[in-house]
Amino acid sequence: MKIAVVGKGGSGKTTTAAVLARTLARQGQPTLALDCDSNPNLGISLGLGEEITERLLAVREAVDAGEEEHAASADELVRRFGVDAPDGVRLAVVSAIEHPHPGCPCCGISPEHLLRELVMEDGVVVADFEAGLGTVMRLDGRPVDVVVVVVEPTAKSLEVGRRAADLVIETSLGRLALVANRVRDLDDVARIAAVFPDLEPVLVPDDQAIVEAERRGLAPLDAAPDSAAVRALVGLAEGLAVPAPT
Amino acid sequence: MRVAFVGKGGVGKSSLAGTFARVLARTGERVLALDSDPMPGLAFSLGVDRDDAGLPDDVVEEYDGDARVRYRLRDGLTGTQAVETYARRSPDGVRFLQLGKARGPRWNNTRAHFGFQNVLDELPDEGWSIVGDLPGGTRQPFMTWGRYAETFLVVVEPTAASVLTGRRLARLADMEGAPRVGVVVNRVREVDDADRVAQRTGLPLLGSVPFDPALATADRLGVAILDHDPDGPTAVAVGSLVESLRADVESR
Repeated sequence: MKIAVVGKGGSGKTTTAAVLARTLARQGQPTLALDCDSNPNLGISLGLGEEITERLLAVREAVDAGEEEHAASADELVRRFGVDAPDGVRLAVVSAIEHPHPGCPCCGISPEHLLRELVMEDGVVVADFEAGLGTVMRLDGRPVDVVVVVVEPTAKSLEVGRRAADLVIETSLGRLALVANRVRDLDDVARIAAVFPDLEPVLVPDDQAIVEAERRGLAPLDAAPDSAAVRALVGLAEGLAVPAPT
Repeated sequence: MRVAFVGKGGVGKSSLAGTFARVLARTGERVLALDSDPMPGLAFSLGVDRDDAGLPDDVVEEYDGDARVRYRLRDGLTGTQAVETYARRSPDGVRFLQLGKARGPRWNNTRAHFGFQNVLDELPDEGWSIVGDLPGGTRQPFMTWGRYAETFLVVVEPTAASVLTGRRLARLADMEGAPRVGVVVNRVREVDDADRVAQRTGLPLLGSVPFDPALATADRLGVAILDHDPDGPTAVAVGSLVESLRADVESR
């Protein structure tokens, strides 16, 4: 199963991707987390800390600068340039780079192509995409099975999320899941329902425990495993692990 | 004054840029607010509706230069005329120009993109103040999207991911030889947040904006914080930022 996590910047994509990846890994599935953002921060939310997160970016930049051998395949990219994260998740930074070698599997292709190339027969890939709609637009050819659209109840985030969801629906990109973050009250629930009358969102409450984890640079699953927000995201992962009704 | 707001997605760049543009315009400056992001963002924070405020493709023409196609503004059109004609009139007299909304999966924004850059290259000589809201993240912000700016305001909130992004931007600014770069700390919750964040990014602290529940409400309603809570903490903090940057420009 390949899962793409998309949405406006700052809406909680990376937190969602991290909880999804670790929860699915805890269920015993080999899990690969791909950070497709040119400003990669998934390592922090997975619980690897700033130093390792920064080192992964440095490797990617070294490839870009021609100081590091390119990987010969998607699998080698994950093996050589990835790191082991908690709960057995493997994390690789695969953001597009400025100076790709044409045809090179590790850089001459976009994260979308890499997702297509990766063979995960009995495992899971969770891809944390770059913010905005550009990457969703390039998901044609169905490189993923599930698209998780993450929104918060602000006008801007809901608009981006709606357009992302429409793209997924219009082009049959895969199963669609909606995560609504930072939900404060019934007004927020109503705002989300007004924009997404067709979807049943996973409601993630606005939770001071997540704010605190993000301030401290810790994985929400480690810092606040019993918080309402983390429990909601764990519930989403468990739902995705069950095949969609046909 | 020409400033560009950069930083991680979701740290509040648009809210601060929109407020900054309007406060600056109230001091009598001729202000162009620029949204370089194809998704709507700055419009809400300026208090205008979300309609497209981009340059139509036909204001840009192709020409042959050095054996490849190049783009320029239509013959005789100056940057100021382009702004007067196509930029949306916004509250407090701000003019608002947007790179253009993404118009679907195969939208070709080449012309809009080059037209936008051409306008930007001309405006500094034509007496405009520019307040730019750059795309989130670290993708070439300084010498491309923000090359008109004299001052870059790196917006950082006191989270690990945002601080890390601020550090990366500081490094890029250094590599690319960007002009003055400083940090504006947003969503300050504890007394030492601003100093601590500035220190960790290695950038000079130019401003500090407290966590403001009214801003969260304005963002939910899709209205400008300056209209929703005109005298609240965000408006006051951005007012101080505008004042200190103006004093700095005048002292040079």
